Amino acid sequence: MSSQGRRPPPDLMEKTAVVAAQQNAMERGCKFLPHGSRLFDVEQGWESITISRDKNTAVADTLLTLESALRDPDNKVIFIPAGALMTYQDIEKLCQRNAIVKTLFREVKKS
Amino acid sequence: MTTKNTKPATKAPVNDNHLLKTKIVDLITDEKFQLGYARKILGEDATEAAVKTEAARRVEAARQIAAQLEKPLGTSTRPYPMWGSQRVEYNGQTNLEQVLSVIADDSNPMKVYSERPYKEVVALTYCDMPVPSMLPLFFDGLERRKPDSTNRTQMMIGDPGAGKSFMGGLQGRIRSKQSVEVFDCGGKNMNELLFEMVLDFGAGDALPKAIDKRLQAGSLQALSIAKLKQLPSEAVSTDSEGNLQSIDWNYFKGNAKPEQVEAAFQVMKDVSQIEGLDHAGGNALGMNSQYGPLIKWFIEGREGVLDEYNKSKEGSDNALQTVWQFLNGEINTCTVENPLKNKDLTNGPSSFTFRREDMQAGFFVTLTGNKTEDGLTTRSLNKSVYSRLSPQTLPDPTEADWQHRICQMMVGMPVSTLYSVFKDQADANPKEFGEWLMTLRREKAAIEGVPVPELQETLLENWKNVVNASEKLAKFYNAWAGMTDAENLMTSGNTDLIEEVDEEYSKKEGIDFRKIKQHLEEAIPIRPKMQPVESEIQIDFKNFTKQPALAEKEYENPSVAFGTRLVDFLDRMVYEKTEAVGKHKLYEKLSTAMNNFGLRDIVLQDGAHSGQKSVEEDLNVTVYDSPDLTKKSEAARKVFCEYLRQMDPEILEKDDDKIITIDRLRKALKAVGEKNTAETKELFVVNRDHETLGNFPLASARIEDAATYPADKTDADFTLADIVSYEDFMASLALPTVGAKNLGAIWDANIRPLAETPAADGSKANEPDEALDMAEGRSQQGLATTTLRVLFKDAQGEERDISVHVVLNQSRDKALVVGEKLPSKLAQAFKEAGITHVDRHGVNAKAKVEAALNELTRGMPDSVKDHLADAFKYRNDVDQNNHQKLAALLVDDKIDMLLGKYVVKNKRLAM
Repeated sequence: MSSQGRRPPPDLMEKTAVVAAQQNAMERGCKFLPHGSRLFDVEQGWESITISRDKNTAVADTLLTLESALRDPDNKVIFIPAGALMTYQDIEKLCQRNAIVKTLFREVKKS
Repeated sequence: MTTKNTKPATKAPVNDNHLLKTKIVDLITDEKFQLGYARKILGEDATEAAVKTEAARRVEAARQIAAQLEKPLGTSTRPYPMWGSQRVEYNGQTNLEQVLSVIADDSNPMKVYSERPYKEVVALTYCDMPVPSMLPLFFDGLERRKPDSTNRTQMMIGDPGAGKSFMGGLQGRIRSKQSVEVFDCGGKNMNELLFEMVLDFGAGDALPKAIDKRLQAGSLQALSIAKLKQLPSEAVSTDSEGNLQSIDWNYFKGNAKPEQVEAAFQVMKDVSQIEGLDHAGGNALGMNSQYGPLIKWFIEGREGVLDEYNKSKEGSDNALQTVWQFLNGEINTCTVENPLKNKDLTNGPSSFTFRREDMQAGFFVTLTGNKTEDGLTTRSLNKSVYSRLSPQTLPDPTEADWQHRICQMMVGMPVSTLYSVFKDQADANPKEFGEWLMTLRREKAAIEGVPVPELQETLLENWKNVVNASEKLAKFYNAWAGMTDAENLMTSGNTDLIEEVDEEYSKKEGIDFRKIKQHLEEAIPIRPKMQPVESEIQIDFKNFTKQPALAEKEYENPSVAFGTRLVDFLDRMVYEKTEAVGKHKLYEKLSTAMNNFGLRDIVLQDGAHSGQKSVEEDLNVTVYDSPDLTKKSEAARKVFCEYLRQMDPEILEKDDDKIITIDRLRKALKAVGEKNTAETKELFVVNRDHETLGNFPLASARIEDAATYPADKTDADFTLADIVSYEDFMASLALPTVGAKNLGAIWDANIRPLAETPAADGSKANEPDEALDMAEGRSQQGLATTTLRVLFKDAQGEERDISVHVVLNQSRDKALVVGEKLPSKLAQAFKEAGITHVDRHGVNAKAKVEAALNELTRGMPDSVKDHLADAFKYRNDVDQNNHQKLAALLVDDKIDMLLGKYVVKNKRLAM
């Protein structure tokens, strides 16, 4: 491709980056949460930044915001930052009492 | 026509987004019902004509809304799997049997009343389908949710982890995008379902938010932290050192017991004072009684699940009896009083009246309960509750249920059940069936908001493997469940385990659907692997405290060794849960079951490897196995272009399409795939000539075997420059189709005439020689080894021919290649191709070769390695006194070939 070639629109690039980041995180396996939700770990870095900045992703750093994101029918993807005030058991508990299918990405420190 | 003395006609509320909020009376299309209802709303004074007009209008409005809500399933073109009793004929006799069939009835289909678009309903009902034995309950649940159904409850009793609350939640999710609230009844007073005491944090939850913020910043006062830790353990999480991690504030807004709310109120008052928040949000703190979940769900017209109902406080559901009568349709109104009103100065409603005509289409209550055998906290329900809620008991899971759930966990949909009911069509047109599965899975992924994980996509492309593997796994899990069910050991043929499996062990280690979930969670991620115990490892003592420099990270497709990871994990679990804790008999039985059900290897009675695949083999899938040539071509192009760029840094082109088109590569792969290289002995290598590679990505090569030269011939017919380079040969092995065809082309019978010693009578002896068979690639055991010579340029730039050893397990399509360092871009492709490459000069090379040989000869007698070593010696010059093991011989670069097999370029470009 020549350097003068048409650049893809920024929206498409962002979308592609989000999908790539999600796919990378999903490859590392998941925790099956109650009622069909899944929790994927995403390493701190470009992947976590890309997912968290996506306009279709709700960011939840406390249990109040997590439950509100779970209850919002417009949210499909929820991002939990590394410093969030919640344990895995908390996430499991909230998914148990809100039967809905969501995809959760939890930021973890790089291994 | 207008009439006098009539009240204005009521309009059915139609909200396109929330059609389930429509009152049920506005959804009933029965004319008789609407005539009666029209009379009721227009009053006794209304004329007959007005009533009829209003009734007709209401029927029409109801039809319109119902048409939007109704999503038919189980029609002739959308058949839906169903489990049930049918008379089945055997030898002229009919017996009633439980069978898996379909509902396919255009006149009376199943109906889901849903706000979701049809494609979402279909994706959820097919992908998240309950296990076969629960399908009748699922169907019953749909029937009870129809607008004209007056029973708005369903109660299910079953073992923990059977999927009861999941099914309640699923019914709600199919109907609406709203979440379904699940209320845990365990240990609670059931009056709280009607009225509950809650903490009121004021508008916007200012106080909890302020505390969370300080907790996150680490700025909460120590005294506050100490106070907050006094909140009930259900609402507070701490780490292993007792540090406060999180507070579940919503617990106090609808889940806590009244005494917990009262205690929390005091704690919060103190904390808001300590933190100085009582002048801000803290002053809004209060306690209120409010409608409990049952009333809230009724008012909001939504679904709810009352989980573990029979673990609630004994006798606490007495006040609910009339409510159950209302919910099951026995009565049409029911008023309940609030016992909490004015208690401890709390505010709240004094009563609530449930009225049939106020009920909305979305309202439904699922109750779940555990079998009474499940622990002391589970109680037997009152006779009146049984009579009013008519609990349905879930059957024990069948093999089909295990398989169904395993498939859902692995690929996100029950491929086995779908295959079972649509078998004829799937077998006749596997591609179309596979595409249908993928469409449904992608539709579900759209609901989940993310793409289908690559592992699931690869497995779904190989759906037959998933069906085969899940069938064996289901049999294994079913057997495992039987062996660990203390209660039924006598009837499940496991009497011999009575001493080892007791009630306690059953509770702890018994197998249920949750265990499968845990096992798959462990098997999916790629984790560091332990080296075999006898491996020789070289530790760097001198620089041990310095951070090591890691080799370039090799990407590994998670599906390539998914089967291996899963079976390894099961192997380990079986050992750890049995033999390691002194349960020897159980271990033996489970190990036998693993073998019998073909988890690792399927070995025939004579020790030969069966043509049928094991679970491990079926689930180790790669795009290289894909029947889709375009996918293979895409994978081939990635390898091809990355290899070219690595070998030739002058290539700056980033667009693969500018180097070689998919179409061109597909044609080349198709042509190679059609060749019978085992017969033609033709090889194909990467063409690196810039001018021609775009049209001819592959160049032709052949093997020049010194064994075929006359004894007096001293010079070869080719020069060093004619020999194919090591890297190009390796790249060819890394390409889909090409690699397999090349590995098929390198076998010959050229040594045999030289090896056979004449018998005393002068004839050639013809005794069986397994090693020679292996050297020729025609051993019955499927093992083979040979050596090839290729051109290698060393670090000093000096060119010479070197040996590349190949050990092949033809039955399992696995190979070991021992040579020099591999171009890094080929490493991933080798894994995809099922080839283990070992750099003979690399760290721990011998241990790696040994591990690979163990893997290739797994399940075979030890003697096969000796035969392989002998086969190696047919081509390689190994001193008679050299008794080293094969692994050591393979990494020894001092060993020359006796009769070289050179990979030589042909003059022509191949394709």
